[in-house]
Amino acid sequence: MRFHHTFKIIYIMIKRYYIIFLLIAVVIAIFPSCRKSEVYETLLITGQSEHNWKASHPVLKQILDGTGLFSTEIMITPEKGGDMTNFNPDFSKYRLVVLNYSGDSWSEKTKQAFIDYVKNGGGVVVYHGSSIAFPDWKEYNEMTGLGGWGNRNEKDGPYVYYSKNTLVTDTSAGKAGSHGPRHDFEVRTRIADHPITKGLPARWMHASDELYQQLRGPAKNMQVLATAFADTSFKGTGRDEPMLMVIDYGKGRIFHTTLGYGDEGGGPAMQCTGFIVTLQRGAEWAASGSVTQEVPFDFPNVSGVVLRPDFKEITLDEAIDNICNYDIQKSTRYFTCLQDRIRKASGDEKTILMLEKKMVSILKNDEASAESKKLILRELSWMGSDYCIPAIKGLAEVPELKDDVTFALTRLRTNN
Amino acid sequence: MSKKSTRRDFVRHSAAAAAGIFVLPEIIPSSVFGTGGKTAPSDRIVMGCIGTGSQGMSNLNHFLQLKEAPQFVAACDIDSLHLAKAKTTIDTFNKDSGCRTYWDFREFLEKEKLDAVSIALPDHWHGIIYTEAVNKNLNVYGEKPICRTINDGQTIVAAVKKTNVIWQTGSWQRSLPNFRRGAELAINGRAGKIKNIEVGLPDGVRGIGTPPVAEVPPQLNWEMWLGPAPKVPYRGVSHWDWRWILDYSGGQLTDWAGHHIDMANWGAGLEYTGPVEISGSGIYPSDGIYNVPVEYDILCKYANGIEMRVANSSRLKLGMGTTWYGDKGWIHTDRGNKLSASDPKILDEVISENEIQLYKSDDHWQNFIDCVRSGDQPIAPIEVAYRAISVGLLGEIAMTTGQTIHWDPDKEEIIGNPGATRLLSRPYRQPWTLPTV
Repeated sequence: MRFHHTFKIIYIMIKRYYIIFLLIAVVIAIFPSCRKSEVYETLLITGQSEHNWKASHPVLKQILDGTGLFSTEIMITPEKGGDMTNFNPDFSKYRLVVLNYSGDSWSEKTKQAFIDYVKNGGGVVVYHGSSIAFPDWKEYNEMTGLGGWGNRNEKDGPYVYYSKNTLVTDTSAGKAGSHGPRHDFEVRTRIADHPITKGLPARWMHASDELYQQLRGPAKNMQVLATAFADTSFKGTGRDEPMLMVIDYGKGRIFHTTLGYGDEGGGPAMQCTGFIVTLQRGAEWAASGSVTQEVPFDFPNVSGVVLRPDFKEITLDEAIDNICNYDIQKSTRYFTCLQDRIRKASGDEKTILMLEKKMVSILKNDEASAESKKLILRELSWMGSDYCIPAIKGLAEVPELKDDVTFALTRLRTNN
Repeated sequence: MSKKSTRRDFVRHSAAAAAGIFVLPEIIPSSVFGTGGKTAPSDRIVMGCIGTGSQGMSNLNHFLQLKEAPQFVAACDIDSLHLAKAKTTIDTFNKDSGCRTYWDFREFLEKEKLDAVSIALPDHWHGIIYTEAVNKNLNVYGEKPICRTINDGQTIVAAVKKTNVIWQTGSWQRSLPNFRRGAELAINGRAGKIKNIEVGLPDGVRGIGTPPVAEVPPQLNWEMWLGPAPKVPYRGVSHWDWRWILDYSGGQLTDWAGHHIDMANWGAGLEYTGPVEISGSGIYPSDGIYNVPVEYDILCKYANGIEMRVANSSRLKLGMGTTWYGDKGWIHTDRGNKLSASDPKILDEVISENEIQLYKSDDHWQNFIDCVRSGDQPIAPIEVAYRAISVGLLGEIAMTTGQTIHWDPDKEEIIGNPGATRLLSRPYRQPWTLPTV
């Protein structure tokens, strides 16, 4: 009886441990996929181009790897006129191939390997000058959807553009590819529910770039995600020309961006947050079929061009440090970064309190400018908790903050 | 519909005011003489205007172009150039030099004996000046949006209800035939039972970055321009472009709420209520002095199941204007005399006598003058205007907080959200306070 009882206890304990063990096993199994996905092995091909590939390719790598989603390996082809037979990348090692290339034809073997890679589900990013590449390679043109220059014309497919908010496929005869002088222009989102464009503004300003126009090609299995109006005052066609496209080819996905003229240090077109973020999102989609990245607060909109000279997003700590130095004539972007964090933390009390504490630290910081404290007081006036009240009251005797302290305390007293 | 103010009320109010300490103006308001005034000048409605910038002058010219134009006798503005222009316009029309000018609305309201006042000011001033004017028993033609905050709006509505003055909101689309016809077809079910509404308003504007502090132009009283708004140095932005700064306006969304949201409410029978749930997201400039959302997408749910989406027009298939979607089709109206429907036959439908006949006005300014004379309710009364802008302002709160807002349209309160509730008002800078009603 006693033995039986003990056995029963052991049996129950084993059963309990078994459940715990099982739970641990499940957690271990699930956890890696809960983390911010895998890192996509990426191959960036460059080495020949009408453009300054030497300047642009390190910037492309920095932009991609900066997301933490990609690990980019650079492969430089032989120079123009060089022996291309030795250019044989093992595409199968990669989830994503980024093309910053237009130049000599690849060997038949390499071309076939690339076709197989895409057909089997490989991702591709076609960047800016790569729209020009390989006019005579049929499959490549099917992958890019549209191309220009290189004696392309009506034999290569229709012009594709928007006119009066309608997508036009125009088979009229004529040359393919041209652009006017570089200038700032507005990009218009045409498909707002694609993973790449979801959450982006309907209209945003892009910094000084070549606006590719009159592109033509097979345009099969292609969606035009965004266009830009080619203004006739910049030698434009007067049409809304495709800027961002996605193409399905076999099981593969291609993201084609005509944006991003590269100069020394990247230049404004590559520093444009709109270029950077659409490239990052397009690359993730091409590699995986989905986009996990949030739209950053500094994505440009119709209000104007936004540049990231260092190609990086502002971190919260950078924002807090820089708000302290805010002055009426300085940029407000560190503060709008904070406001964006507050909006995105909506309903998450823990994060809101963390942000409130950082804001209070600015109020308590004797080195922080009066103007920075005014901004913080205005924001705390609606989202602050009891935590911030002593710090606000502590500023009541500062003459230049008197109105702002009154504003904040008056509003904080309003309650249901 | 609320009780109408009567001409007799006017006589009483004006007579009482006339006994005040200020010098009696030369032109005696027609109301002093009661209903039977025979001589032409005294039978004309005597008016003044506060705010003589672009919209104020536009309204002034509309009034002066009426067949029986009101008699304008005074103007008030904190920009002396604007004021001089208004005086010239009025004096030229009156063929004299008698238009009195003021920079301080308080002095204007104390001294002038008027039947009515036309007011067109930046939104942050609406709460104080509309309420003060109404408290003085003046009939008001007031620009939309009628308030910068829900709290300001509630105060103005209460003042109008208490004094029974005639109030016309500058939502002039109500007096255009295509809008009225569209709303009348919608409310009479010609697209079927209305399920949802889309309202397309303009996209935001290009920013100007961070302009330097500049010298205040000599004609501008900057302190008075700011009034109850936070004190900031002058940076070259005042007239017109105040719309792009949150201290003074909510941007295109709140500017246009008084037009196309007003239309949406008119055609869906939502004029005297509000949504129960509001969610939305905005896209804001990441830098610069302009800080209103340049894109916005707001979804409002009403107690009767109707959903209203309000967004910048680039996000909507039909773009600008109001579209009522019923279970049988849709009806769309917009400026430029636009009226279209899913089936063109809808537009030929006849509204019979026993169906809902919407208020008909052929001229928005004339309608105000007519109602001042008759004591009838104008086509764009105060509460209707308040309900239209509330949708925009609640949308602004949803975007600011990133939260879904629950609103009680009867009690006019946000439910269970202290942070959002604080955004129903903007504290005034001392010494300014919202007048009591």
